[in-house]
Amino acid sequence: MAAPFVFGALLLVVLPAFLSFALAFVQYDALSPPTWRGIENFAVIFRREVFWIALRNTLVFAFSAAPLQALGALMIALLLHPERRGVRVHRAAVYLTSVLPDVAYALIWLWLLNPLYGPINLTLAWLGLPTPAWLVDPRTALASLVIVAAVRVGEGMLLLIAAWRTAPDSIYDAAQIDGADRLRTFWHITLPWLAPWLLLLLIRDLVMAIHSSLTPVILMTGGGPGYATTLLPFLMYEEAFTHLRLGEAAAMMVVVFALIGPPIGLAGWLTRRWWREDAA
Amino acid sequence: MIRIVGVLGIALLLSAACVALEPSSARAPEQTSVTFLISGDPADEEAYRTLVEHFMAEVPEIRVELLNIPGQGDFRRRLTADFAAGTPPDIFLINYRRYGPFAARDAIAPIDAFLAQSDVLRREDFYPQALAAFTWRGELMCMPQNMSSPVIYYNKDLFDAAGLPYPTNDWRWDDFVNVAQMLTRDLNGDGEIDQYGFGVEAALVRAAPFIWMNGGEIVDDPAAPTALALAEPASREALAWFVSLQNAHRVVPDAVAEAAESSLSRFLNGRLAMLMESRRVVPEFRRIEAFDWDVAPLPQGKEQASILHSDAFCIAAASPYREAAWRFVEFANTRVGQTILARSGRTIPSRIDLAQDPAFLDAQARPHNSRIFLDAIPTLRAFPALATWADIEGAVDAELKQAFYGQIALDDAIAAATMRSAEFFSRQE
Repeated sequence: MAAPFVFGALLLVVLPAFLSFALAFVQYDALSPPTWRGIENFAVIFRREVFWIALRNTLVFAFSAAPLQALGALMIALLLHPERRGVRVHRAAVYLTSVLPDVAYALIWLWLLNPLYGPINLTLAWLGLPTPAWLVDPRTALASLVIVAAVRVGEGMLLLIAAWRTAPDSIYDAAQIDGADRLRTFWHITLPWLAPWLLLLLIRDLVMAIHSSLTPVILMTGGGPGYATTLLPFLMYEEAFTHLRLGEAAAMMVVVFALIGPPIGLAGWLTRRWWREDAA
Repeated sequence: MIRIVGVLGIALLLSAACVALEPSSARAPEQTSVTFLISGDPADEEAYRTLVEHFMAEVPEIRVELLNIPGQGDFRRRLTADFAAGTPPDIFLINYRRYGPFAARDAIAPIDAFLAQSDVLRREDFYPQALAAFTWRGELMCMPQNMSSPVIYYNKDLFDAAGLPYPTNDWRWDDFVNVAQMLTRDLNGDGEIDQYGFGVEAALVRAAPFIWMNGGEIVDDPAAPTALALAEPASREALAWFVSLQNAHRVVPDAVAEAAESSLSRFLNGRLAMLMESRRVVPEFRRIEAFDWDVAPLPQGKEQASILHSDAFCIAAASPYREAAWRFVEFANTRVGQTILARSGRTIPSRIDLAQDPAFLDAQARPHNSRIFLDAIPTLRAFPALATWADIEGAVDAELKQAFYGQIALDDAIAAATMRSAEFFSRQE
């Protein structure tokens, strides 16, 4: 049953990924045949200051956005877990942030964050609070992108609510009989129950934040002001398709893979371990 | 039975539809089809579509498929992807600042031989500045379609309201700053500027004319550049004047105001008095009804100078239909072809004889002062022809923008741009 999916993944993901690894060691401009270049592509990108700026920005972005996103998902899940009147509408509204196409999501935020006419700054000004220039100011541009990524919690919320449902009612009944208040129930029962899911969610969000920031950067900042929001995927894209240096872009991709490989490995290892414990 | 009839009916309908959809294939089975890629707004696309239709009426055996990718960045990426896939467009229209990477990799078929054999086009008919911009290592690579240079578009109504005379053709930098200051106004007294005197993109392509006017250079040796020369006193002085328009004189919207609403949009809405732009905005500006506008030359410095803008038709070396592609390029540059495009307002013909033609110098159509585009031609200079020029320009623009908006000091910007662009001067592909 999985055969079509496996075939598709091989053809569209695994094979191009392997080809990209090979590209990292050649000089290739898409117009003439590739020529062997060894590790020179890596030497070139490591000498380039902008690469290190992009690497730093990527790590700052991912390690800020992912924990905030996981935390946000947890808080929303706590809020929207109990079955109440209208809770489904609220869940749908939160989940909408995750099903919106990236392009639409980025354009909506571009409007929300408009420094003069955007609803966020209009509200802040109305409340008499300072109005940051968001994407325009080099000091707040990357933080703005973090906010945009962090509030996309629909998927995480759904996952955590589903995970919560697997907790047997009996332990909550027992806690109630023992007289545990809501905070203690959360701290001693719910949080430990959700911990593995939260950890997986955090790892997944981290991996996503490292490698899939291209759309918001292209549409919202173009990497600027200066290089304040130049993240690795954007730099790779520019390198490959604007400047025709596919070899150097592939070398950067290898660096990105080195960043996301360990967390993916960790996630796989953890899942296998838990699954085995469950089975045992 | 009913099902069989139904199926037969559908099959009949489908075949009828096929016939109806492809009448041309039945008429001319030997027809050659070539693709033509451009990047423009709807007004551009309309002008090129008219050109294509005229050509196909004249030469029915060649079918031209027009493809428009709006947005210069998307256009270049699409072009690259098409070349990489081995299916480049037969013909594409590209700016001289961006064709270098393709020329350097032999992806463009030189057109010297085609032009030499042409009965209708002669090399001498074209402006030498445009031909030079598309000459790569001694060979003419593409056929220049147009040429222009940046000018100052100004809102006449705002000048009238301020009681200011319209700009003259010999105004100078100081006059310009004075006028811009008088046109930058807080109209409702709330402490916020509602009307700006000037709008300009904070980019090297806009600052370059002022650097040259001041006797400065952008690179150390324009013929064989090895480094940026923006730190040289004359260049730096011009750049300092350019960025001071925003960060000292405040006649240009600041970073926040520009992000909130672009200068172009402000001009269109009658809230920005002067805008530095090339010829490309004319079709859109001709639709302005709320106010009257015209063009003025760039304010003068120590010397006369401006920067060339030019697009040309290039033929892909990998195209199997180079002959057919040339026939279209040839037609596009005849009197008929160039007149169609000039009438749209978008372009200034690359042909010397046609630039004086009423289709371009139409007294009825705005801008009335179109002649200044022609007057600037002898003073036009071009960026160096390097395959890595886009990298160099990108490195400068990233820093210049921050200096322009007062986020970093100009000297730091020049130093950073010089350092980051260094590798792209040394690596010539």
